[in-house]
Amino acid sequence: MLETRNLDKSFGAVHVTRNVSLKLERGERRVILGPNGAGKTTLFNQLVGELTPDSGSVHLAGEDVTALPVAKRARRGLSRSYQKNTLFDGLTVEENLGLAAAVHTGHATQLWSDSLAKSEVREIVAEVAEQVNLMPFLHAKVSEISYGVRRQLEVGVALATRPLVLLMDEPTSGVGPEMSKGFHDLLNNLPRDLTMLIIEHDMDLAFDVADTITVLNYGEVVFDGLPEEARGSTLLKEIYLGSWENA
Amino acid sequence: MFRHNTLRYAVLIFLAGAALFQALTAGYFGLEILTEILVLAILVLALDIVAGFGGMVSLCHGALAGVGAYAYALLSAKAGIAPPVAMAGAVAVTGAAGWIIGAVCSRSHGIYFIMATLAFGQMAYSYVFEAPVFGGDDGLGGIERLDLSLIGLDLNDSRTFALFCLALLGAVYGAAVLILRSGLGRSLSGVMHNEQRMRALGLTVWRVKADVFGLSGMIAGLAGVLAAQHVMFISPGLLGWTVSGEALVVVILGGLGTLVGPLVGAAAFVVLKHELSAVTTYWHLVVGVILIAVVISRANGIFGWVEARWGARIERRVADATRKQQPGEVARDA
Ligand SMILES: Nc1ncnc2c1ncn2[C@@H]1O[C@H](COP(=O)(O)OP(=O)(O)O)[C@@H](O)[C@H]1O
Ligand SMILES: [Mg+2]
Repeated sequence: MLETRNLDKSFGAVHVTRNVSLKLERGERRVILGPNGAGKTTLFNQLVGELTPDSGSVHLAGEDVTALPVAKRARRGLSRSYQKNTLFDGLTVEENLGLAAAVHTGHATQLWSDSLAKSEVREIVAEVAEQVNLMPFLHAKVSEISYGVRRQLEVGVALATRPLVLLMDEPTSGVGPEMSKGFHDLLNNLPRDLTMLIIEHDMDLAFDVADTITVLNYGEVVFDGLPEEARGSTLLKEIYLGSWENA
Repeated sequence: MFRHNTLRYAVLIFLAGAALFQALTAGYFGLEILTEILVLAILVLALDIVAGFGGMVSLCHGALAGVGAYAYALLSAKAGIAPPVAMAGAVAVTGAAGWIIGAVCSRSHGIYFIMATLAFGQMAYSYVFEAPVFGGDDGLGGIERLDLSLIGLDLNDSRTFALFCLALLGAVYGAAVLILRSGLGRSLSGVMHNEQRMRALGLTVWRVKADVFGLSGMIAGLAGVLAAQHVMFISPGLLGWTVSGEALVVVILGGLGTLVGPLVGAAAFVVLKHELSAVTTYWHLVVGVILIAVVISRANGIFGWVEARWGARIERRVADATRKQQPGEVARDA
C-alpha cells in the first residue's frame, strides 16, 4: 500500500534519513519507534511530500508518487496527523472535521453550495467524531477544548479525509498514560483495512497496536519485524535503555 | 468563518434604512455623498472578502476598480458596445485580472503578498497612464450611465442612480455572503486559519485563492464601473495605490473580516472626509489619528469594537427572550 525505496535526506551535514526502505501491506499497522531526533518526523514529511528526499522514491498503492505535490498525494489517500497540533484554531471541532471531509467529497471548491451543510460531509463528520470520541465537543472551538481532546481532533481531521493510509506522528505525545491507553483502544477500533503508520515514543504502548515495528536510529532502519521479535531484541534494548531514555 | 448574528442583522437593517431614507429625501449634494459611500462600500466588500476572510491583504483593489472603470469606458464610449454588455465585459476583465493576480501571488504571504499586489496595481497604473488609448493624464470623459428606460428608470437622475447603486450594493452583499458560505468560502477560511493543513488534506490551495481573488476582482470591477458612471469621467488617478490604501483603511476602520464593519467604515470615512474637509484642508491628519486610535486600541475597527462589547450580550438577551416565550405559549395552548 505504502512503500519507500532507498529514501535518503540530509540537512546540510546532518544525515537525517539513511537509505530507508519500508513496505506496508494493505491494512497493516506499523509502529515506528526511535529516540528523539532519529528522523521519524522527517521521514513522514517525505512520505507526504512536505519535504523532497535527496534520493529514493515513495510509492502509494503501487504508483510512484515521489514527484507529486502534497495535495495530490493526499487526494490519492495519504493522510497525516502532526506531532505538534496543526488545527484550525479559531473554528469549532465540527468545522475542523468538516473542512477535511469537504475536501475528500469534492465540495471544498464549490461555489454554489455550502460544503459544511452537505449531508455527505455531515455523515463523515459524525462518523469520525464517533471514532475518535469527539461527539461531546462538536460545537466547541479548538481554543475551548483540552490538550488531550485536541490530540484526538488532530487525528480526527486526518481521518475525515477517509484515507487509505493514515500516518500519525506521536498521536499521544504530551497526554497522560491513561489517555494514551484509551487512544490506543480507539486506534484498534478503526476499520481493519485502513493502513496505519504510527510514530510512537513509548515502546510498551506501541505493542498495543502494532502488527509490525520499525525502529529508526540516526535516520537508519535498525529493526524491522514483529513486535515479539522486537521485545527480545538486544539491539533495541540498547537503544531503548541508552540514548532513548536520556533523549 | 462568516456568521450573521443579531447585532449584524440590526446594523445591516439600520444602514439599509438610513441609506434608503437618504436616497429618498436628500438633496443633490447629499445624494452625491450617498452614492460615493455606496460605491466605496462595494469596493471595500470586495477587499474584505480576500483580506478579512482569506488573509490576503491586497494593495491592488483600487487598481482593479480602476481597470473596471477604464474597461467600461473603452467598451462603451470607444467601441460603442451597449452599456449593459460593456458593464458585464468590464466585470469579466477585472475578474480575470483578479484571478491571475491571486494565482501568481498565492505562494506569497504577509508583507510579500502586499508588495506583489502593489506591484500589479502600479503596473496597471503606469500602463493606463502611458498608453494613448486611455487618454493619458487627461483621462476619458463622456462616459454614459446604464440606460434603464425600458423599465422606466432614468439613471441620469442622481436620486435614481443612488437607489440603483444601493440595490447593487445589496446584491453584492448577498453575493459576498453566498461566497463566504460556499464550499469555496469555507475552504478559504480553512486556508486562512491553517494553510499547511488544508494542503495536507488535499486542497489545491492556489486555486482556492485565485478563484476567490477573481470573484473579489469582479466586485471591485463593478465598483469601478459604477464610479465611472457616477462621475462620467475617469483619470489614471483612479488606479493609484492611494485608492487601494484608502480602501484598506476603510476596511480596518470598520472591522476586518466582518462584512458589516466595512460598510460602517465606508459611511464613516466618506462622511468624515466631507465634514472635515469643509472645516480644514488637513482632514487626512484627523482620519490618520482616528485610524491610529482604532489600531492601537486593538479593537477590530469600529464595528468590531461594538461587537466585542455588546455582541455577546445581545445574543444572550435574544436567546433568553425566545426561551421565556416558549413556555408561555405552551401555557396559553393548555
Ligand atoms: N528543516 C530542518 N532543517 C534542519 N534540520 C532539521 C530539520 N528538520 C529536522 N531536522 C533535524 O533532523 C533530525 C531529525 O529530526 P526529526 O525528524 O524531527 O526527529 P524525530 O521526529 O525522530 O524526533 C534532528 O536532528 C533535527 O534537528
Ligand atoms: Mg518527531
